[in-house]
Amino acid sequence: MALIKDRRHSLEHTATPELRFSDWLNEGLSQDLSSTTAVLTNGDDDLPSLLANADKLSMIAVEFEPFADGRGFSMARMLRRAGYEGEIRAVGDVAMDRIDFMQRVGFNAFELRDDQDVTEALTKLGEVSVHFQPSADGQGPAYMV
Amino acid sequence: MYAYNQFDQTLVDQRVEQYRDQTRRYLAGQIPEDEFRILRLMNGLYIQRLAPMLRVAIPYGLMKSTQLRALAQISRTYDKGYGHFTTRQNMQFNWPTLESVPDILADLAKVQMHAIQTSGACIRNTTTDPFAGVSADEIEDTRPWCELIRQWSSLHPEFAYLPRKFKIAVSGSSSDRAASQVHDIGLHLYRNEEGELGFEVLVGGGLGRTPVIGKTVRKFLEPQELLSYLEAVLRVYNLNGRRDNKYKARIKILVNALGVDTFGDMVEAEWALLKDGDLRLPLSEIERVKGFFTGPDYLSNKNAQRNLASTFDEHPAFATWYRQNTRDHKQAGYRIVVVALKNQLQAPGDVSHQQMDGMAGLADEFSFGELRSTHDQNLVLADVAQRDLFDLWHKLQAIGLARANVGTLTDMINCPGLDFCSLANAETLVLSRQINETFDDMDYQYDIGDIQLKISGCINACGHHHVGHIGILGVEKGGKQVYQFTLGGSASDDASLGKTLGRSIEQDQVVVVIGQILDVYVELRETDETFLQLVRRVGFAPFKERVYGTHQRSAA
Repeated sequence: MALIKDRRHSLEHTATPELRFSDWLNEGLSQDLSSTTAVLTNGDDDLPSLLANADKLSMIAVEFEPFADGRGFSMARMLRRAGYEGEIRAVGDVAMDRIDFMQRVGFNAFELRDDQDVTEALTKLGEVSVHFQPSADGQGPAYMV
Repeated sequence: MYAYNQFDQTLVDQRVEQYRDQTRRYLAGQIPEDEFRILRLMNGLYIQRLAPMLRVAIPYGLMKSTQLRALAQISRTYDKGYGHFTTRQNMQFNWPTLESVPDILADLAKVQMHAIQTSGACIRNTTTDPFAGVSADEIEDTRPWCELIRQWSSLHPEFAYLPRKFKIAVSGSSSDRAASQVHDIGLHLYRNEEGELGFEVLVGGGLGRTPVIGKTVRKFLEPQELLSYLEAVLRVYNLNGRRDNKYKARIKILVNALGVDTFGDMVEAEWALLKDGDLRLPLSEIERVKGFFTGPDYLSNKNAQRNLASTFDEHPAFATWYRQNTRDHKQAGYRIVVVALKNQLQAPGDVSHQQMDGMAGLADEFSFGELRSTHDQNLVLADVAQRDLFDLWHKLQAIGLARANVGTLTDMINCPGLDFCSLANAETLVLSRQINETFDDMDYQYDIGDIQLKISGCINACGHHHVGHIGILGVEKGGKQVYQFTLGGSASDDASLGKTLGRSIEQDQVVVVIGQILDVYVELRETDETFLQLVRRVGFAPFKERVYGTHQRSAA
């Protein structure tokens, strides 16, 4: 599966973390500050805990499974608002028709489903170039410009 | 009304091309069925029993004559020459092909229209009072606020995959003509004791399987923070609404489970992080949008006025139409005209392409080139001078739209039912035909007076039967279509949910039962008492006795 990161096809494909945020939190790993960690999360995890611990994490992979589970959109938005600057990666059932909205709310990496063409997917970012609402990408309605 | 600038036009044009590419990839087998389903629904395209159905957005029901002409043209080019107005003030086309939809959307974009978010688990078309900006009892014009909500909600990246659909209605009068208490969010624009303008925010109302009246979650919201507060509500819902069962996924279920106070606390906590931020509306932006909704260039009262007394004497049918189908206007010398799409020959809300073109012409001639669609599936010409009313009435007759039945029994709300809809359990259009045939005496309808009959073909309640004074719900039992009656519902400021009268009625008995219910009303009513008032006063016993009494005795 291909990875898009920071608007480019990323050839250095770091693996999707297998460590679940809930395990990392419950097993006391969050106390070990010697190395930063990548975790896998989804809408079932405790969001306030994720926000509170985000600064200890190098990558947060948000799982979309099934694809219509839209909680991940709000999670990314809130992580960016809380000042998280690491990688937020969309994983799971990720297709080109959703990555533009994902990018707008704060995802900067997308692990595409196997059937997705990465070159075509890149054309979907910014396919609609004007926006009616402020979001994590800093773009917004005309009155904000 | 609002006119697109380059920014709005770019968004809609690019959205058309985005959807064109999605359709192309779907037809090439590159998008799985379940995934394309969500993509097409976000653009208003359903696959119905007989054909796809495309729902076009009419933001808060407001249209220019040029837009209605474009809808007429689309119905000729891509459909069978007619359209259907829905209870969300939108228009549905029942017979387009899936392949033609990108071209339809491109045609719509040319007249500043679209089908964005007319279906799917996202924020739907915001609806409002069809008399906004013109009614005599208005506190504040809701249209600029609806437009601001339209913009904020259009292609909102965070709220495209909500647990379920989300509907917002805005009311700005003492009488609620927007059914705001049965919406996911209802906004009431009003002035507080200090005279400041603000919104009362209701949350968690809705119809469907679990009808609920909305509850106040915030008593007063400063208008500049409207969007930040809406965003907070949507975010709490998006994160916490149930996703395991689509029948328990609407916000009303979440609000009921948490209690409105707890839900409100969660919203306030999120809102605290949003207010005074990017979403705070600049006054300049509010003023810019309000600038699109200044009144038209009205004639002076002297020039607009016409004493109609002698015309009424000569043309009693005109007098009746004036009484039934026109309303008080805030501008002296003007009337609001409701054009009923409820005649004997067409399904409620249906309109032919000739009628669309005709109405567009009448809007140009008599109402500053604008029209509104209403949540009870009619059209409104909002700004008609008194002196033009007689002329307008004649011209409405020529296109079959002068029936003087607004507010009466035959001005019913009706979902398309089993004739078109893949969700329906029962036919509804056959009922409206039967009702029109049985109760064809207009004097009888006028005597019955203000009554709202609302018919749904399944429990999803698109026909709003829960809030009908008389509600009818079609269900399937043992392979037969039967109908449950409810009485006592209302979607107005005195909102209430109707209660079930008793066991289901067979299709050919529906008009009989309606007649029995109306007989009870006629026999028991006091002077000036409406049907709804009577139901609330006397309760269900006399109605039950009339409808079921003899059957129950014979069965015993």
